[in-house]
Amino acid sequence: MTAEDTLQQARERIGACADPGALKELEREYLGKKGAVAAMLAEIPKLAPQARKADGQRANDLKQALQALFDERGAALATTKLDALLRADDFDPTLPPPRALRGGLHPITQVTRELEDLFTSMGYEVLDGPEVELDHYNFEALNISKDHPARDSQDTFYCDDAGRLVLRTHTSPVQVRAMEKRKPPFRVIAPGRVFRQETTDASHDHTFYQMEGLVVGKDISVAHLIGAMKTLLRGMFGRDLEVRLRPGHFPFVEPGFELDARCPFCEAGCSVCKRTTWIELLPCGLVHPNVLRAGGIDPEVFSGFAFGLGLSRLVMLRHGIDDVRHLLSGDLRFLEQF
Amino acid sequence: MKASLRWLSRHIDLSGLTPETIANDLTLSTAEVEGIERFAPATSDVVVGHVVSRERHPDAEKLSLCRVDVGAGSGPGEALQIVCGAPNVAAGQKVAVAKIGTKLPGDLTIKRSKIRGVESFGMICSARELGVGDDHDGIWVLPENAPLGASVASALALEDFVIEIDNKSLTHRPDLWGHRGLARELAAIYERRLRPLDLAPPATGSGAAYPVAIESPACTRYVALVIDGVRAGRSPEWLRHLLLAVGQRPIDLFVDLSNFVMLDLGQPNHVFDRHRLDALGAGRGIVVRAARASAAETIRTLDGVERKTTPADLLICAGDAPVALAGIMGGDDSKVAPESEALLLEVASFRATTIRRTSSRLGLRTDSSARFEKALDPHLPLAAAGHFARLLQSIAPGVRFPAKPTDVGVWQDPTTTIELRAERVRSALGKPLPASEIRGILERLEFGVEATSVETAGETFRVRVPSFRATKDITMEQDLVEEIGRIHRYGNIAEAPLTFTIAPPARDERRRLVRHLQDRLAGGGRFRENLSYSFIADALLEKLGASDEPHVRVINPVHQGESRIRRTVAPSLLPALEANRRHHTDVRLFEIGKAYEPEASDARGEPRERHYLALAWAGSRPNPKTARWDGSRLQKLQAVVEDLVASFGLARGTWTKDGNPPRWAHPGKSLFLALPGAPHAAAVVAELEPGLAPKLGLAGDLDSEVAVAELCLDALLSAERRGSAYRPLPRYPGIKVDVAVSVPEATRAGELVALVESAGKGQVVDVELFDLYRGKSIGEGRKSLAFHVLLQSDARTLTDQDEQKFLQRFEKLVTEAGGELRKA
Ligand SMILES: [Zn+2]
Repeated sequence: MTAEDTLQQARERIGACADPGALKELEREYLGKKGAVAAMLAEIPKLAPQARKADGQRANDLKQALQALFDERGAALATTKLDALLRADDFDPTLPPPRALRGGLHPITQVTRELEDLFTSMGYEVLDGPEVELDHYNFEALNISKDHPARDSQDTFYCDDAGRLVLRTHTSPVQVRAMEKRKPPFRVIAPGRVFRQETTDASHDHTFYQMEGLVVGKDISVAHLIGAMKTLLRGMFGRDLEVRLRPGHFPFVEPGFELDARCPFCEAGCSVCKRTTWIELLPCGLVHPNVLRAGGIDPEVFSGFAFGLGLSRLVMLRHGIDDVRHLLSGDLRFLEQF
Repeated sequence: MKASLRWLSRHIDLSGLTPETIANDLTLSTAEVEGIERFAPATSDVVVGHVVSRERHPDAEKLSLCRVDVGAGSGPGEALQIVCGAPNVAAGQKVAVAKIGTKLPGDLTIKRSKIRGVESFGMICSARELGVGDDHDGIWVLPENAPLGASVASALALEDFVIEIDNKSLTHRPDLWGHRGLARELAAIYERRLRPLDLAPPATGSGAAYPVAIESPACTRYVALVIDGVRAGRSPEWLRHLLLAVGQRPIDLFVDLSNFVMLDLGQPNHVFDRHRLDALGAGRGIVVRAARASAAETIRTLDGVERKTTPADLLICAGDAPVALAGIMGGDDSKVAPESEALLLEVASFRATTIRRTSSRLGLRTDSSARFEKALDPHLPLAAAGHFARLLQSIAPGVRFPAKPTDVGVWQDPTTTIELRAERVRSALGKPLPASEIRGILERLEFGVEATSVETAGETFRVRVPSFRATKDITMEQDLVEEIGRIHRYGNIAEAPLTFTIAPPARDERRRLVRHLQDRLAGGGRFRENLSYSFIADALLEKLGASDEPHVRVINPVHQGESRIRRTVAPSLLPALEANRRHHTDVRLFEIGKAYEPEASDARGEPRERHYLALAWAGSRPNPKTARWDGSRLQKLQAVVEDLVASFGLARGTWTKDGNPPRWAHPGKSLFLALPGAPHAAAVVAELEPGLAPKLGLAGDLDSEVAVAELCLDALLSAERRGSAYRPLPRYPGIKVDVAVSVPEATRAGELVALVESAGKGQVVDVELFDLYRGKSIGEGRKSLAFHVLLQSDARTLTDQDEQKFLQRFEKLVTEAGGELRKA
């Protein structure tokens, strides 16, 4: 076969080849070690010397022409393949991905952490206290004597007939426990679960969460309390909210206050603030001297302020939860929303 | 507590102050005002009319056809024609007329209407319809001099606002349970003067004082005033209206006046029929004593209820016969008869706790008991008696007081003196108030203030606390700070930053662990954090067969059968599985919480507190044909627990079957994790006890494979930490060898791992089980386990020869152990 015939035949076969693998095979057939061009070159030494040069030239030309054909076809096939990949006709963008199973933290934990982080960044220590508490810490040491009317209204779960042990009705017992183990100045917070013996409904549960705060030092004043509470609100709501302190009576503070904040949800009154534009947020006050004494601190030398924040209520406010009982229901349909 | 502004105006000039201003200022300085209401607002919309003529309705016997002049230029001829159904309407009366378009309470708008064929152009109103009484006897007949056409409210001086104060914010303020006390606050707030009020007893005859004997220390003062010559009749309108405004139903002159004095001064009091007292007590007078234990005494109170007493209760007796439950409610037998003209007024002081206990035991809370519970000023009884007598005299000039009031009892003037340092006020409030302002505020609140000495340069005061504030509220310097702060207004104090030397708080390992566990589980573990109640239901304990375990218990549970406090946390998660499995195929919950062991109480009686992490994982059962050998939920949960422990940096522990399985655990499928350094098992992981599942509702469609784990945080915190030193990377490459052995079913995987390690002579750095197979090719009663083994040396590159030696040693060991090395 002449070189021209070989080239012609190869051109046709290359043109008909649509598969990169087959093209490689074909390339080997022509240009491989045992291929057509190699056979042709092997013949050259047997030729008369005068013919050698021309034949050699012809074989080399053929080799180059073939190589160009294969390269061109190879590139074309690669492009076709890439085009096919890019076309992606079978891709359905609406096909749902597999469901990702997600874990998550309870909303009470989430808000507790935010507050813990806020307060620890200001040098507060986070404390823990027992839920089954001695009457001494829950009442006596907090200036709530056996005869005090607050005992009736506290709706206490008692653990024994003698009334020595109770389920704590507030996080305030941690105040005295903290004082016993520390020397002023100090600042602490104590989040945790508290209990009230009362009938449950959408806005009352017998178990809920609070966070106590206590700062003791020299010359701690109402002005400091206001400052700390404004900082707390800034951290909680991410902006400055107007606050007001009004008299409130609690046996373990003197003077005692209710702190109201401007309703963050409205400007002219809404259902959350009962149309008053104020939200009753937390009771607070200067620590009563009897409480300081119960904690072994001299009220003539030191003073302090304390506050109690309702964490369950805060979670409800934040998420617009209308039934407090969801919080401890163990219902995944609720828990998964946070 | 409701307060009427018109009533308050009897004590202080409130001109120029809106009800909103007053409410707001009271809230900020004194006590929380919960609302403001207009008294009988409908009276502002109806007008005074004159009934010009009254005829019978042509078609209805009980209806009248009236022509009513309502002024405003309308002459007699233009009077309104109104059909009226009241029997008492008559020509010549002044009446309250609702004209067309007027809105009345109950969404009633007056329209032009036809009644039995006759047109009516308005309505003649009853007092009841206008919210000023509950008279049933027909229309409200107004005084003759009421100005025609004027609004009834202005004509009768009914315009009033009522503010409602939260009772809870008054618990420490006995002085604010009457209008006089509230007016005193307003006087201090607005720097206005209280109007003088004469409370001295009126002139009396020289008869013998009524005999009163006090036999119990729970009565500290008893004032009794004999009243003659006046019968109970209708009270004057001003009195009725003030009582109505604050929600008190007018009854008759004595009841109304008694209530008025209580609501004015805050001092409860009671009027007896003296003839009845004398009859019941055979003329022996009043005896105040405790109820008798032996007699099981009863008293029928004014509400008609027969009440049993206990020796803790205080009784007012006529001679020996109980006639009142002291401080709470009068007796039915001694109440004033309509025709009686012989009365005895009682105004007394009782011990607050006695009244509170009896009132709460009987569930009988009255306006009277609510006030006595607050510890009233013992000066009040004589003043209140004087107030009552003077008011009665002004209403019924014929009244006689034949004898001086009886005034007996042993009481102490609570008035005290407190030393106040101006500097203390400033440092507590955080504001440099001048001494003059401090002094001024206290004086406005009727405290006596004098500088202690010249040396202190007006910086230290002796403050005399008036008796009405001294019974319980004001006892120390800090209490005075509050007085100054609240009248100065806390809103006038600028915020100040706290200044401290900051040292970072001590590292809190428990909190760090809790956060670690939460994050790890919520993140990689894909568990949801749950919080459940600390109470654990008896019913659940019964299902668990754990009723015999000791629990801390409350004696007054909210729900029957939920008195116990959990002693571990895992059982709390179990009831949530069924409900959640109804809508979830995969339920993963965890909870971190406290639990209590009463049998391990400390010297002070505090039960031992432990902190637990509980995990529950439930889902549908795997298909045994396609399930992987390592796919059981128990194993997966075990892996989760291993990850929690390892990622917290604890030293590697060992899993054993030696432990006491909890009641919820399958005893044969429980695993315990022993950690170096921990005093007891740090974790237990187990399959749910199979008998328990149906009791928890996990049966039928909800049949589930459940694994539960519980970790003791206290044990985790005491466990040893893994060394933190870096381990150099291997210098020589290792050889990976896969081995498969066939062994009898009874052989444990752990034994084989031990054989691998033994055969490796220190060169085995990792063994990983990758297949577990049972089947025909292995033989009955046998199983095949396959391991990836990594051999490595620190000294040299291992060769094929090392691998061969390892395999030979391993084969020998396996064969000795009754197994067989399977060749690939
Ligand atoms: Zn609002």
